[in-house]
Amino acid sequence: MSSGRLKSMLASAVIAGVTEARARIFGHILNPTGQKSLHKILRKKLFGDKVAEWYPYDIKKDDKLVMARKEEERLSKLEMLKRRGKGPPKKGQGRRAVKRNK
Amino acid sequence: MPENRNISDNMRRMLAEKYELRRNLYKALCRDPELPSDMREQHRNKLSKLPRSSTFTRARNQCIFTDRPRAVYEFFRFSPIVFRELASWGAWTGVKKACW
Repeated sequence: MSSGRLKSMLASAVIAGVTEARARIFGHILNPTGQKSLHKILRKKLFGDKVAEWYPYDIKKDDKLVMARKEEERLSKLEMLKRRGKGPPKKGQGRRAVKRNK
Repeated sequence: MPENRNISDNMRRMLAEKYELRRNLYKALCRDPELPSDMREQHRNKLSKLPRSSTFTRARNQCIFTDRPRAVYEFFRFSPIVFRELASWGAWTGVKKACW
């Protein structure tokens, strides 16, 4: 029985030695007690630029004629709505703003 | 491509990219068990002062053609509705209707 315990102690010592050696060779950071450490957060790769490049560049922006036409269309649409009385309300007069200011 | 939802989502993505490094640093420092607790609180404060739109969780993967926030595949960056439309025009080379 005691030989079993001795064996398990030896085995755990050997494993600990091996992990330490491995960490020393490859430059890993050890945390044998398992406490919270910064390493886990800091080792994550940065992926901010991939996130920022989701929307591709719109080629229509290079063509000035197309952009001018689009802008004209938008303004004419706005004018039509205003003629009918359906344009956007003044600042402070929208539904939410009125509720808030009451 | 419709503009309004696109613009706000884009802004969130830009902010997230800009503040990412700082955010990671503050977060890591506040969880360090070895630092004294007032320093940890200081870093926690700084983390909370960062703009809310600078988290990655706030950016939503929207369809680049229609700004649809749902059913957007990351591989294509657009929704299956757009895929189907453009595939019937023949915009995707080599894509045919499946039949076997």
